[in-house]
Amino acid sequence: MFTSAFTHWTIFRIALQERLVYRGDFAIGTLLRFLPIITQIFLWHAVFAGAHATAVSSGASPQEAERLFGYTYQNVVAYYLLSMLSRAFSSMPGLASGVARQIRDGEIKKFIIQPIDMGGFFLLGRIAHKLAYYSVAIGPFALVFFLCGDYFDTPPSGAVWLAYFASLLMAFLLGFFLELTIGMIGFWFLEVSSLLFVYMLFSFFLSGHMFPLDMLPAWAKVIVQFTPFQYLAYFPAAVFLGKIQGPELWRGLLIEAAWVALFIALSRVALHYGLKRYSGYGG
Amino acid sequence: MKIGRLGKSQGAACAGACPAVRKGGAEPDAKDRICPCYLAHVAAPATPTNLSLQTRNPTIEIRGLAKTYHVYQKREGLLASLGGLFHRRFREVRAVDGIHLSVQAGEFVAFLGPNGAGKTTTLKLLSGIITPTAGSATVLGFVPWERANAYRRRFALVMGQKNQLWWDLPAQESFRLHQQIYRIEPTQFERTRDDLTDLLGVRRLVGQPVRELSLGERMKMELIAALLHSPDVLFLDEPTIGLDVVAQHTIQQFLRSYQEERKTTILLTSHYMKDVAALCRRVVIIANGRIEFDGSLDGVIDQFSGHKIVTLQFAEEALVGGAPPDLGRFGDVLEVTPPKARVRLPRHEVSHLLAEVLGRWPLEDIVVSDPPLEDVIAELFSRSSAPEIEQAEDDRAPMVT
Amino acid sequence: MTISQSHAQLDDPPGRDAPRAAYLRVYLTFVRNSLVRDLSYRSNFVIESVASTSWVAMNLGFYLLIFNNPYVTQIGDGLGWGKYEFFVFLATTMLVNNLVQIFFMPNAEEFSELIRTGRLDFALVKPIDTQFIISLQKISWASISNFLVGVGLLGYSLWRLTTREINPLAISPVAAILYPVYILLGVAILYSLMITMSAASVWLGRNQSLTNFWFYITNFSRYPMEIYNAGWGAALMYIFTFIVPVLVVVNVPARLLAQPLSPRAWWEWPLAGFAVLASVGSVLASRWVFQRAIKAYRSASS
Repeated sequence: MFTSAFTHWTIFRIALQERLVYRGDFAIGTLLRFLPIITQIFLWHAVFAGAHATAVSSGASPQEAERLFGYTYQNVVAYYLLSMLSRAFSSMPGLASGVARQIRDGEIKKFIIQPIDMGGFFLLGRIAHKLAYYSVAIGPFALVFFLCGDYFDTPPSGAVWLAYFASLLMAFLLGFFLELTIGMIGFWFLEVSSLLFVYMLFSFFLSGHMFPLDMLPAWAKVIVQFTPFQYLAYFPAAVFLGKIQGPELWRGLLIEAAWVALFIALSRVALHYGLKRYSGYGG
Repeated sequence: MKIGRLGKSQGAACAGACPAVRKGGAEPDAKDRICPCYLAHVAAPATPTNLSLQTRNPTIEIRGLAKTYHVYQKREGLLASLGGLFHRRFREVRAVDGIHLSVQAGEFVAFLGPNGAGKTTTLKLLSGIITPTAGSATVLGFVPWERANAYRRRFALVMGQKNQLWWDLPAQESFRLHQQIYRIEPTQFERTRDDLTDLLGVRRLVGQPVRELSLGERMKMELIAALLHSPDVLFLDEPTIGLDVVAQHTIQQFLRSYQEERKTTILLTSHYMKDVAALCRRVVIIANGRIEFDGSLDGVIDQFSGHKIVTLQFAEEALVGGAPPDLGRFGDVLEVTPPKARVRLPRHEVSHLLAEVLGRWPLEDIVVSDPPLEDVIAELFSRSSAPEIEQAEDDRAPMVT
Repeated sequence: MTISQSHAQLDDPPGRDAPRAAYLRVYLTFVRNSLVRDLSYRSNFVIESVASTSWVAMNLGFYLLIFNNPYVTQIGDGLGWGKYEFFVFLATTMLVNNLVQIFFMPNAEEFSELIRTGRLDFALVKPIDTQFIISLQKISWASISNFLVGVGLLGYSLWRLTTREINPLAISPVAAILYPVYILLGVAILYSLMITMSAASVWLGRNQSLTNFWFYITNFSRYPMEIYNAGWGAALMYIFTFIVPVLVVVNVPARLLAQPLSPRAWWEWPLAGFAVLASVGSVLASRWVFQRAIKAYRSASS
């Protein structure tokens, strides 16, 4: 047990070191990640300006056009920034393809032989990655949020903060185990990349990454409720902005937790059967 | 080369350029070495079928060619790379360090040398892929690194470890592309293609995607592609590397008969002695970016090996009391399997050994032979290789000069 | 028949003194080869087409959602970008980007690989302009589906614009002729940017950030340039018009087609003129960079 803790610490430490080496690149990369948001924000600015003009020219009161889909322009900017933050927690670049590749190349064998739990191994690696990322990225992020302070109105209450952090942590776990499970498909199918692409496609549009999910028409909203995607970007941001409140909020957290549990279970099952199948083929 | 046979001015020019003369100072016998100067001025050059004008001027002329690289510390990441543009630490690597060479039309010359000796760099300079830091070279009258289309149309380059054919397509599609690029007239193209594929025995494979072919078959296709436009000059960089023995043999045979018929000027670099011995009369040994030797294979042994190998076969009864114990006196005892013993010893010791042995033991057979060429070359390389140069061509990161 | 016999029949092998390579024929061979290759990987081809088209469809969905709102009838205040004008803009973006994707993107990626592996050597020894081979040898037919979607969107939007009851759009013949011309000029600008960035890998080594960079920069060209003209965005607008002219790529042809002939803003025709200069300038600049890169090329050893 002692050795196990030590091993885990070593894995963690090595992964952390690896990422910190690329500090400068990180900082630049982080700032660059905000660029696509900038274009979107300019677009929304123009949308709101147009809506305002339309409202005025049609004789309605301009106040009516200040909220589109329940969001003011400030809300929209705040939303994009917050969704970036959520995505920083929940996005797992290269996880699924990395796992699939390791399966394909046979590196997975070491998990059969060595007493290291594969899921735990990757999880620790990702945690290290994220920590390293944040230790550098927190600078640019804080800067951006500070500069855009005007776009946030009332700060959330204590309970909501708690709920927000819970949703962020769960977003991390959800994103991780979801992609891990997808990667495990590699035990059965050689080409995970097409499946991954489909996942990315749906995730991009249905997670709230591209736009606040409140914009969706009613029928689409219903469908989205049955998917886990919204918890990757939209849900935490909406919680922070107060778009989801009261019983709806707690229910949402519960459902998110349920999704996390589901994917943890799925990934373990997939790992178990996958390794069985794998070693059956005479490594 | 008998300098005495040349005019005074010619002799002086030869003396200046000829590595053999520069090294030894002595006048070797023409029989042993085929000095390029001798070839140029004395022996009649082979008559090429496809060279237009200059038959007396060398096809390839290299003077003092040098290529020095600055190898920079590679930096990871965009920011670090950009920073690397301002502050760079480097070490200087002389891949080619001033070489002189003359090759006549129709010659088949081998470049031998250890890793990083500068052979591939020289070929790349002659192909115009990189530009030199000093010196000059002309091939077929052109300056290679000016990359004139008229020049590029007349030579071909084949590299054993890099493929140029389209991976997913049948070789014949790549051939067709070559035809268009080199503007080969259709009937001519078809005839050449069919001849070449027949000679190499790959006719039935041209319709198969290149990725499905074996290494040897791929190499043959690469060769064919290179020869479709009937180049006057062919540069081959380790064409048989990694191939099985049969494929190597086929390609060697092919190259030999092709060269004999077409009288193409060929420069071949190789690690394999068999390639060299089978194909080339003239060997150029490069190490550390400099030419160490330029002449025939026999000349290599004569010049670079101070040793001989004596194989003694004793009469049966002589070994009753055990093998002669003191053979080791004269040199290294390589092997003792009664009734034979093999000893490697300096040349001047041979007569002593023989005198001793003949006097004391009855012998059935004595063979005095040269050490294997591989050993001679390996010894030459190990004597002259420097660690710095070894790294030059292994550096996979292309950085700016 | 031996080789020398077959050659002896012709005094001087033809093509030997041919003055230049037959660029058109070579290009047609490239087209053919790429087609053969893409079709031999048929399932891949289909998957890629479907994947990229779904992506585009979802993007369109986003814009449809925006215009779903009763108050959103235009982008920007009085800029002239109503719903279908905006869709014309989008369609133009699709046309330009997909032309680049079809004809140049695979080659730009391949170029970095060729530099890294040293296989650029083979392009350098061929008797044909190196930039020609490098830029054009592969064609990605899978992106054609997106191009067709763009054409469809353009057609539909123009139809809606020209048949609406209030103020139907009249497309002048000048606009109709200049539109494809400016699309090609836009492609030229993007091509130049792309090839410059690939060529930079000679100096910078392989770099993922470079591909991301491409994406970020071209992201700016997706929307009408006037939307940037707010606050500090104006600086961005000027930088991406005059220094890295990605904004003129889509804006000029889209404006030409979708905006009524008069009144035109005072800066429209000068901008169009500038776009021509920008294209020519970009192409020349990229050629210069390309040739410097070839000179600095080291040819990685095996």
